[in-house]
Amino acid sequence: MISLKGLSKRYGDRLALDDLTLDVRPGAVTGFLGPNGAGKSTTMRLVLGLDRPTAGAALIGGVPYHRIRNPLRTVGALLDARALHPGRTGHAHLVALARSNGIPRGRVEEVLESVGMAGAARRRAGALSLGMSQRLGIAAALLGDPGVLLFDEPVNGLDPDGVRWVRGLMRSLAAEGRTVLVSSHLMSEMQLTADHLVVIGQGRLIADAPLAEVIAGSSLTAVVVRTPHARELAARLRADGVEVTRSGENELVATGTTAERVGDLAHEAGVRLHGLRTREASLEQAYHELTEQSVEYGAGRA
Amino acid sequence: MSVRILWQATAAEWGKLWSVRSTWWCLAGAFALMVLAAVTLGGASVTDALRAAEDGGPPAAPVVASEAAVSATIFAQFALVALAMLTITAEYASGSVRVTLQAVPVRGVMLAAKALVLAPVMAVAGVLSGAVATAAVHALLSIDVFGGLSVLPPGEVARDLLGVGVFFALVSVLTLGAGAALRSAAGTLTVVFLLLLGLPLMLLMTGSPVAVAASLRMPLFAGLAFMGSTDNLTGGPLPYSAGEGLAWLVAWTAAALAAGHAVLRRRDA
Repeated sequence: MISLKGLSKRYGDRLALDDLTLDVRPGAVTGFLGPNGAGKSTTMRLVLGLDRPTAGAALIGGVPYHRIRNPLRTVGALLDARALHPGRTGHAHLVALARSNGIPRGRVEEVLESVGMAGAARRRAGALSLGMSQRLGIAAALLGDPGVLLFDEPVNGLDPDGVRWVRGLMRSLAAEGRTVLVSSHLMSEMQLTADHLVVIGQGRLIADAPLAEVIAGSSLTAVVVRTPHARELAARLRADGVEVTRSGENELVATGTTAERVGDLAHEAGVRLHGLRTREASLEQAYHELTEQSVEYGAGRA
Repeated sequence: MSVRILWQATAAEWGKLWSVRSTWWCLAGAFALMVLAAVTLGGASVTDALRAAEDGGPPAAPVVASEAAVSATIFAQFALVALAMLTITAEYASGSVRVTLQAVPVRGVMLAAKALVLAPVMAVAGVLSGAVATAAVHALLSIDVFGGLSVLPPGEVARDLLGVGVFFALVSVLTLGAGAALRSAAGTLTVVFLLLLGLPLMLLMTGSPVAVAASLRMPLFAGLAFMGSTDNLTGGPLPYSAGEGLAWLVAWTAAALAAGHAVLRRRDA
């Protein structure tokens, strides 16, 4: 488990992270979302002990990163796939990492095999495509078979097969009970991958909730009702405090309620229904609403 | 810091050193510079001695071939400075230092591991390149033109070669410390070059007693004193013993390492 406790980071006069408190739990893929500059990468660097927090703490299993003995066996991370000595082969890179943490040498071939780059690992890192570098970075993260994994934009540069592979990998790592924190700008991909979402904007926490809850909370998630008595039902719903718009002769769109509630109210009013369904917002829409508010909020304060 | 953690980190750094081509290029450069500089300097000093003898001075005395190798370190050290520098600045240039620190998060362990790899490699490179240079100088000075003045007293040669090895080891660790403090290759190279050669020569040229005294205690002359060089640039003997020369060298190296460690601990990676 990753715990952030009042984590803040200031770079010069810019507050990159402002009092972030949250837990990233095991057994789930936690999607880490936010606009560019929101503080996602900063958070990951603080968790990995690369940067020092201005205030607060980032703990892994209750201890700061630098206290973990052989940390690669506890925490695997991919921050920047291009951060490799261009003249060293991927294989030599992984062998050095394995040695530094007392990981058996055989594990190198194992992870290279599992990310599908057994051949390319003998090439110098500078000659690898972004997609191959990304696979090598994922191999490095998996090297120590860690219980906690952090991935910053892992599908960057991957082809569609690679994207699908990463999705499956994240899901299976979480299913094995590991803690998986993944940042991405690809909302459609996140919607398929994540169980839980953490959204930050301007260094502040905006949302920390299950994916389903974030989508249900969007104003674009609505109940669509088809009924020959649209006017009558609309009045009944409004009386119950539901926001209703009429989208057609026989169709209403109700927000801030559930299909069950609408059905019950229609039944009470004796209104016949010809259709009743929930239209879910996409994560992209929900995300947009969340971060838009954060930008306005931030701008208003400034 | 546990011994096992340090050992693992050192083994990793060892592998990293030998898995890039620049290491081999720098070592080859150091060998070439040692031989070239030693042959040039050795030939020049014997030529001077012979000319002086011809002009009615005292007969030219035999020359210990390895002394030319000691003097050659002034130039050859920079190939090894480049190598030592790259072990840390290349990590910052590529960003891979963040991966290194994920694996070895205690800054002191990371720095110590790099030093523990550099020092023995440089010492061996110093002894071997010194031996090759000495052999080359001896072969050259043995031909008739140079009057067969070259001698190879085993004790002195061994002491000179060991001295070169220790000097290279210390200079490379000094460079590592400076690299950790400065992070950029250009900055490190400039500062180390000034420290090792530029500044002591400038101070020497001012002629002021304080500046000269300071210059003589910088790594250049401390190293020459430690290696027992009689061929120092000041024209006179160095005002302290070989032991004191080593002490100054170690002090400079320790200061650079301390600076590197302080920056590593305080600054974000």
